[in-house]
Amino acid sequence: MDFDFTQEQAMLRDLTREFFSRESTPKAVRSVMDDPRGFSDSTWQQMAEMGLQGLAIDAGYGGQGLGMIEQAIVLDEMGRAAYPGPYFATTVLAAGAIAASGQENQMARYLPDIAHGRTKATLALLEDRLSWTPSGVQLRAEKRGDGYVLSGVKRFVPFAHVADLMLVVARTAGGEDGTTVFAVPSDAAGLSQVQNVEMDRTNRTSTVTFGGVSVGSEAVVGELDNGWRLIEAVLQRAAVGAAAEMLGAARRCMEMSVDYAKMRQQFGQPIGMFQAIKHACSEMLLEVENAHAATYYAAWAYDAASPDALLAASAAKAYVGDASRKVCGSSIQVHGGIGFTWEFDLHLYFKRAKHFEPLYGDADFHRERALQLMLARTETREGRPEAVPALAS
Amino acid sequence: MDLNYAPEDERFRSHVRQWFAEHPPGPLSSLQQKKDWQRQLYNAGFVGMGWPKEYGGQAARPMEQAIVAEEMARADVPGAINSLALGLLGPTLIVHGTPDQKQRYVQRMLTAEDIWCQLYSEPDSGSDLASLKTSAVRDGDRWIINGQKVWTSLGPIADYGMLLARTDPKAPKHKGISYFILDMHQPGVEVRPLKQITGSSEFAEIFFTNATLPAENIIGQEGQGWELAQTTLGFERGGSVLARVTRHQANMRRLIDVSRDLSRDSVSVLEDPVVRQKLGRMVVEVEVLRYAGFRILSKLEQGKRPGSESSVDKLYYSELDKRHQELVQDILGPYGQIEQGLPTELSLNSSTMRGDDSTWAWNFLWSRAGTIYAGSSEIQKNIIGERVLKLPREPRADRASSSN
Repeated sequence: MDFDFTQEQAMLRDLTREFFSRESTPKAVRSVMDDPRGFSDSTWQQMAEMGLQGLAIDAGYGGQGLGMIEQAIVLDEMGRAAYPGPYFATTVLAAGAIAASGQENQMARYLPDIAHGRTKATLALLEDRLSWTPSGVQLRAEKRGDGYVLSGVKRFVPFAHVADLMLVVARTAGGEDGTTVFAVPSDAAGLSQVQNVEMDRTNRTSTVTFGGVSVGSEAVVGELDNGWRLIEAVLQRAAVGAAAEMLGAARRCMEMSVDYAKMRQQFGQPIGMFQAIKHACSEMLLEVENAHAATYYAAWAYDAASPDALLAASAAKAYVGDASRKVCGSSIQVHGGIGFTWEFDLHLYFKRAKHFEPLYGDADFHRERALQLMLARTETREGRPEAVPALAS
Repeated sequence: MDLNYAPEDERFRSHVRQWFAEHPPGPLSSLQQKKDWQRQLYNAGFVGMGWPKEYGGQAARPMEQAIVAEEMARADVPGAINSLALGLLGPTLIVHGTPDQKQRYVQRMLTAEDIWCQLYSEPDSGSDLASLKTSAVRDGDRWIINGQKVWTSLGPIADYGMLLARTDPKAPKHKGISYFILDMHQPGVEVRPLKQITGSSEFAEIFFTNATLPAENIIGQEGQGWELAQTTLGFERGGSVLARVTRHQANMRRLIDVSRDLSRDSVSVLEDPVVRQKLGRMVVEVEVLRYAGFRILSKLEQGKRPGSESSVDKLYYSELDKRHQELVQDILGPYGQIEQGLPTELSLNSSTMRGDDSTWAWNFLWSRAGTIYAGSSEIQKNIIGERVLKLPREPRADRASSSN
């Protein structure tokens, strides 16, 4: 049993940290925040040269073929630096869905360009029902001739405004699933979008309207009417990936708070000398350490196809969501007034963590799912019939 | 990162599991029965597992120790009665004792021939242990002890105590303390069981009136007591990380079963979304305890001693237990408070660490102790803040007269 990173993993973390501390300084992040495109092409290209976009893509498709642990390491560092750009959307979501299809022609068509940083992509999943189950998918794809026509509205599509490619989850039939995933070029006729102004300006989202967008049958990724299998796989990775992002942001907030508590003087002494502040910092460390254990256990369980991988993903997303909320919130409190100013950098990380809290299942969602998984496990063990329906997987 | 159990760990686990299946403990109400059970565990190789072989231990890896503790929790069997000697006092003697002391005491700890207690806390010296006042005065080739100790686990059945007493009242407070072995069976030692809020007595108060101990019973040097006691405190945390998780899981499963049979307004409480959120939180927190436990075990396996990180662990699991017992009470409602006469289908069906039948009510009350003993949550937060995060130490009145 070894919970430490391997030498290669530690090296990846060090390289990534070094890169983002150079490329994604608070100053750089702020200038991108004011940029309508919301990311830097030059940083994106350098990331591609480092192989970050292709990290989890199979070597046969131009990637490095690494696992969820490595993916989490990189996302942890991006959260820590509040790196602004379409990385999560392109790799975890879009490339994740394409890879989950296992379809050689689609993978060969899209993945090498993603791995090399030539294609930016995203996943259009959420709609008005804000559901993480197939029942939330109402956007219709109607068969017309050889192809399909997509009509409906997608909400909170990450980095849709710069994506070259959108993976769109559409309803093609009724029944338990009845969804299909389509790969749609974002300049397709009939597609329009309005960008949201989010409080986390390192992440951009848009409302995307499909006003009768025509696609050919080759746009279908995965199986017809059985698209949720792909999305489920993506959501599991996204839960762990979001946990890693929140962990990184929380760790940054903790470190800033501890540094500040050592330096800031009131009543003639550093405020970190007061137990009220010291204990707040100690609780931050507890949450960050547990969040680390939860995130990387879940990543390991995913890579090892451990039977508890789904439970671990839910435990991680639920725990780290609450933990980062507590740590980042407490960090503003420790900083006092300066932590509430725009000029001070703390809010970059506070908002970065907040962005991921509701996504890919919030803490309530994953607590419920963790309970269902635990119940299912207990019942199987006792030889009772499976009484818990609709488990993800 | 590799969080699989090694094949040899899996083999060891099935051996241990089989042993406990084949050797259920009989009734363990009398002291002799409890000592016999430890002897039986010792003969099976499950006692003093981390101790060096030359002192009767197994020199087992931390993982093997954790597996045995976990399997004991799984089989819901009580641990060895001489718990303080095994976890803390024996290792201290092995490291700091004279050859004579080791020869005389260590083996008998393993076989429960002598039961040991730890004579540390005093009524006025809890978190501020170094302010202790119990005095040891040199008188020829012996020491004379006067004072009072409190919160002494195993006090009523102990044959020996490991005593912290002040030998130099003029020295700075951390420097004037020495560490001794005290024979509990003597006229100057009075033991009074201390009844706690649980109604039971897991602790005792000990009064010394001219109790004596021979000069050779000092451990280490005169004035070195605080330093040695600090190293012992470290032994108190670590190897039971998996057992703790297993006990929580067992209680949680039982709670889920009970929730199925319990209804409010003719709806099963297990269908209540508010209850489900509470149970879900419990599942998540116990899972995280498990992952964090793996992280500690991994460190132990590499031969590293978890230092101040063990404060993070202690803070989390003791506070978690308190939260969870509160949730149990929320879910069970008034049933949760019943100490006797709870219908079997709602009862806890498990035992305390010491082998007595346990109840939800007892667990709830007992959870209040965890954030106080072995360094309160506030003390843990000071340790984390000052030793891990390196925040400046607070000014303290006692440091003015102390070199520490």
